[in-house]
Amino acid sequence: MKGSAYTLIYAAALGTVCALVLTFAASFTAPYQQANREAEEAKNILVALNVPIPEKTPAKELLILRDEKVQEIKRGEVTTYVYSPGGANAKPEAVAIRFAGRGLWAPIKGYLAMDPGLTKIRGITFYEQEETPGLGGEIVKDWFRQTFIDLAIRGADGKPGIIIGTGEDAPNRVDGISGATMTCNKVQQMLNEAIKSIVKEK
Amino acid sequence: MAENKQSACVTCQPAGLCGGKGLLTLKDGAWRNNPLAIQVLGICSALAVTSRLENSLVMGAALIFVCVGSNLIVSLLRKRTPHRIRMIAEVAIIATFVIFFDQFLKAFYWDMSKQLGPYVGLIITNCIVMGRAEAFALQNPPIVSMVDGLANGIGYAVVLAIIGFFRELLGTGEIFGHQVLSSQWYTPNQLMILAPGAFFALGIVIGIFNALKGPEPQEKK
Repeated sequence: MKGSAYTLIYAAALGTVCALVLTFAASFTAPYQQANREAEEAKNILVALNVPIPEKTPAKELLILRDEKVQEIKRGEVTTYVYSPGGANAKPEAVAIRFAGRGLWAPIKGYLAMDPGLTKIRGITFYEQEETPGLGGEIVKDWFRQTFIDLAIRGADGKPGIIIGTGEDAPNRVDGISGATMTCNKVQQMLNEAIKSIVKEK
Repeated sequence: MAENKQSACVTCQPAGLCGGKGLLTLKDGAWRNNPLAIQVLGICSALAVTSRLENSLVMGAALIFVCVGSNLIVSLLRKRTPHRIRMIAEVAIIATFVIFFDQFLKAFYWDMSKQLGPYVGLIITNCIVMGRAEAFALQNPPIVSMVDGLANGIGYAVVLAIIGFFRELLGTGEIFGHQVLSSQWYTPNQLMILAPGAFFALGIVIGIFNALKGPEPQEKK
């Protein structure tokens, strides 16, 4: 029977080789993955702001489209992404902010777009999430994101914030997802933080 | 059975690669002992990713790659691997192949990688891969182990493709995203896209495979 020392050396050697192979794979694909992630983010800003995107736009053109159509404007401490179809000096059509927070399993990141007067939501997208597929993962689906359109960002009492889940009918409430209450609560919390931060800077 | 084995040897031996077991191994993995339809292993991913044919094919390709690669390495190392840590060694090798494939998808097939989500990573825990490494590659030389990995990968991929084909066709009326069944006379059956549809489809496929294969030969008492 082979000894313990051999077992240890074998395990160490195998571990090292596997780690090296994966390090090589990760560093080789890193620039491609980074480019994909950037394109994904650009696409999400555009979708949240409801900027028309031609079908099957290649990743590189998405970045160009974003740089053309969307301006980054600092409002106090909050970076906003402003869409004005008529050019930089024309009246803006929508304002988006980035939001992020802890999801159930991993960070959730996305964009929330509102009208320039900051009264209603125009669109919402999530570009990073690892929620449970089929339950919390449904937040990225069209049917859920569409319920947010035209949602008021203030309650009847005028306080900024929205409600995701059950409750009385209110202009600032949308239905949550059955089986994904934890995800919905977390999304509600991070959206409200984002909304408060932008309302404060106005 | 004995006859069967001999004829397989005759066809394969001129190639001189598989130790005379190649064809038999191939047939066994892909058909007689099909990992999904006969052994009913690894159905978690089979149910999860088969809502579209394209996803099913990519997932099948991933499993073939992982199964062939891990069987080869496990078999090459089989005489050097200490018995006590063999399983952990197998998992490390399998995980390396899976993560490699996952990184590749993320870099070059971003949309596909997003659709498959966590299921590529979950191949690490797929019982087919581990099962083949443990049951076959540990006892057999490298080339025939690769054939075994290929056979089981194909067995998995074919069943996935069949399920994916019917789920996409009946669930959306499309194949590869192209409209096949006209919406004028076919109303897509949403059930096929949802989880229960996968169970029904898999159940029917298992039934058909078993019916075609015929009953197990009775053991002589």
